[in-house]
Parts: sequence; structure tokens; C-alpha cells
Amino acid sequence: MNITIDSLTKRYNNKSVLDIPEMIFDEGCLWGILGPNGSGKTTLVRIVAGLLDSCSGSVLYQGDEYSDSIKKAMTLVFQRPYLIRSTVYENIAYPLRIRGVSEQEILARVNELIESFNIQSIRDQKAWTLSGGEAQKVALARAIVFKPRILILDEPTSNIDPESIMLLEEKILDYYRKEKPTILMVTHNIQQAKRLCNRIAFMNEGQIIDSGVPAEIFGSGAMPKIKEFIKKGLI
Amino acid sequence: MDNFVSGFQDAFQLIIDLDPEFFEIVRLSMVVSLTATFLAAIVAIPFGTWLGIKEFPGKRFLVRIIYTLMSMPPVVIGLVLFLLFLRNGPLGEFRLNFTATAMIIAQFVLVTPIITGVVFNGTKDRGPDIQDLARTMGSSPTQTVWLLIKELRINILSAVVTGYGRAMSEVGAVMVVGGNIKGHTRIMTTTIAMLRNMGEYSLAIATGIVLLLISFLINSLLYHWQQER
Repeated sequence: MNITIDSLTKRYNNKSVLDIPEMIFDEGCLWGILGPNGSGKTTLVRIVAGLLDSCSGSVLYQGDEYSDSIKKAMTLVFQRPYLIRSTVYENIAYPLRIRGVSEQEILARVNELIESFNIQSIRDQKAWTLSGGEAQKVALARAIVFKPRILILDEPTSNIDPESIMLLEEKILDYYRKEKPTILMVTHNIQQAKRLCNRIAFMNEGQIIDSGVPAEIFGSGAMPKIKEFIKKGLI
Repeated sequence: MDNFVSGFQDAFQLIIDLDPEFFEIVRLSMVVSLTATFLAAIVAIPFGTWLGIKEFPGKRFLVRIIYTLMSMPPVVIGLVLFLLFLRNGPLGEFRLNFTATAMIIAQFVLVTPIITGVVFNGTKDRGPDIQDLARTMGSSPTQTVWLLIKELRINILSAVVTGYGRAMSEVGAVMVVGGNIKGHTRIMTTTIAMLRNMGEYSLAIATGIVLLLISFLINSLLYHWQQER
């Protein structure tokens, strides 16, 4: 499912925080959205996810406007995920339950993911007792359990341990290779973007200043502005 | 000090004697407060939740009004309702003064802002996160409301118990609109006030102890319920 953005703007207190005349996030690509703090990355993905209204412009999903069927085919994993006040199992099962999936299938799919994420030991643990890394694993498992066509990740590996980061990256790539969804991943980590993403959208001051394959964006022919950000360690 | 000692003895005696008059007072107290709290919860839980997740012009002003109403003196509520219910008042045709219904209305008016305020405070902190989660999981509006209620259940229950505690301990409003009529509108708090006026201090203390015991039981149930989760 591709995502087409047309003349998208967002303002807070008359200050422009997003201004994207045109952008297409191609179907089946794993997009890294990079940029310095305050460049509008989170605002963009929240608008795409339907969590925030834009001031003007449109976002189309495979040519269609945001609707219930789009909502059901898309999800967003937050930097600090909210886990429901229940067990790890119930958290991962939640999207399947609201879709009316049978208990037998829920059991099979949730257990498969629990095993794949290597979180069997915390299967019945209450969500509020989990560490940051464990919580993020549960959030990612919960996001992919219903096989969304658009997966949005807002800094999913910030502030967690290196071991969890490795596992999460591996699971994101596994899901991408298996299901070929469109993934938008906001990240501050340029090495992570190079490892995972096959497309990059680089943002600054609410605009996408460059987009393309990582070799173009970060290579010798990179934009001077992007080189400057990298050199100064601003991303 | 003697009053306290004899108060405990009298409280124990009241309970084991199963005095019908006293138990009627306890029964009416609980019926009035439970009904008022139940009706207030029906209004205040959805309203407080809605207020916690919605942004609209004038919201801050509305919240300030609710906070003010949370601390409104009960006797003022009683007086206003008493005047409204007077025979020649706007609601006089319903003949509500000196009835249990008037006492329920008075406690409803007292408790609704309290439950609304407590639910609002819990919702404004966690409600937007829960709403965002529901939307990103693909929940329908009904599923979103259900998730909000489930996730905020401890806060909602605390709000209801706070409201119930306030209703049970209230005396000013129910005294004004109910009149403390024996066998008709006499409840525990108005009984304590009456016994104090009569100089029956130990019996007043005894009634107070029973009132505290009921509060303790309700709070214990809540604590137990919270621990389970």
C-alpha cells in the first residue's frame, strides 16, 4: 500500500511545523525517516497514522482517503508504547480479539510470536512490570500480529538495551521480508537506517529535503545540509 | 473520655441487639447514598471521561467550575433544593421536600462533580495514550470506549468510592431537604447530629463508629479488588 502526500501542512500557534508539497512513500519499501530534533518526523507519522489532523493537504493510501478499512490495515508503534493493564499474552492478543479472530487462532498466532521474540518467560507477566526493552518487544509483537499493510515505527529502539535493539531490528526485517508491507521508521540512528532501510526521507524544519536510497542520501553526493547534520552529530 | 469508652460499648450493643429502628436508619442511609452515587456515576463517568480526552474552547473554564462545585458546601445545595421544592417553588408540584427522593437528589448534586473531577483527572493523564493505542490497533469507537473504561477502571472505582464516602458522610443537605423525620428521612449522619443536640453523646459516638465500620468495609473491598489487579 503506497502513501501519497499532497500539500500537507501543520501549524501550531501560527508556527509551521510541517510543510510537504508532495511525497510518495512507495509500496513495499522500508522507509527510514531521519532528521534533527524538531524537524517534524513524529508530526508526519502521526498524521499518516490518522492520530493527528493536518491543517491542509491530503494523505492517500493506495489512492484512497483514510477510512475504517485503512485504519484496520495500519498501525504505529510508539517510542514509549502504551501496554494495556493485563498480561503480555493479552496485550499481543488484543488486536486479534477486536477483529473477532477465534480463540484457537489467537492462541496459535500469539504463542508463535512469543516464541519468535523469545519472551516465553514473561508470557503471563503483567505489562506494568516489564523493562523498557521487554515492553518494546511486546509492542512490536502486538503491532505485527494482525499483519498490517502499513507499519509505522516511531523511534522503536531508543532508550533500550543493545540486545533488545538487535532483536527488534531482526524482527522488523523478518516481518518486512515475509509480508512486504510499507514501513515508515522514524529513527535518529543513521547506522540503524543504513542497516534496515531501503529508502530514506530526510527532514528538516518540517520539510522533506531529500529522499531516495541510502547510498544516494548518505553517499559522497549527499546534500551539503545533510552532510553538515551528520558531521555535527545532529542525527 | 468516658463518652468514647461507652460509645464503643453502645456501638457493639447496637450491632448485636439488631435494634430494628437503628437498622432502619442504617438501611435508609445506604439506600439513599447508594442510589445517589449510582445515578451520579451514570452521569459523571462518561462526562469525566469525555472531558479528559476532548479538547474544546472553554474547557479550562468548565474544569474550574467542576472543581468549584466539588467543594460546594452541602448546606448550600440543601438550601437551594429546599427552595426549589417548596410548594410555591418552581418544582413545588412534585412535593419532594422531606422525602428520601429529595435526599437522593441532594446527594446526587453533591457527588456528581466529585466523581466527574476524579474521573477527569485520571483520564486526562492516560486517556489520550489509550485512545491513540485503540486507534492504532484499529478499534471501533465502541471498542475504544470499552478499552478506556477497562484501562481506567481503578480510577473510576476510586472516584465512585470517593463519591459514595462523601454521600454517606454528608449531613447538611439531607438535613435541610429531608428534615430528619423518624422512620421516614432519618439517616445515620442526621441521627448523630440529633443525638448530639440531645446530649446523647455516647449513642452519637456509637452511630459514628457504625458509620466508620461501613466505610471501612467498602474501602477494604476496593483495596482487595485493586490488589487482585
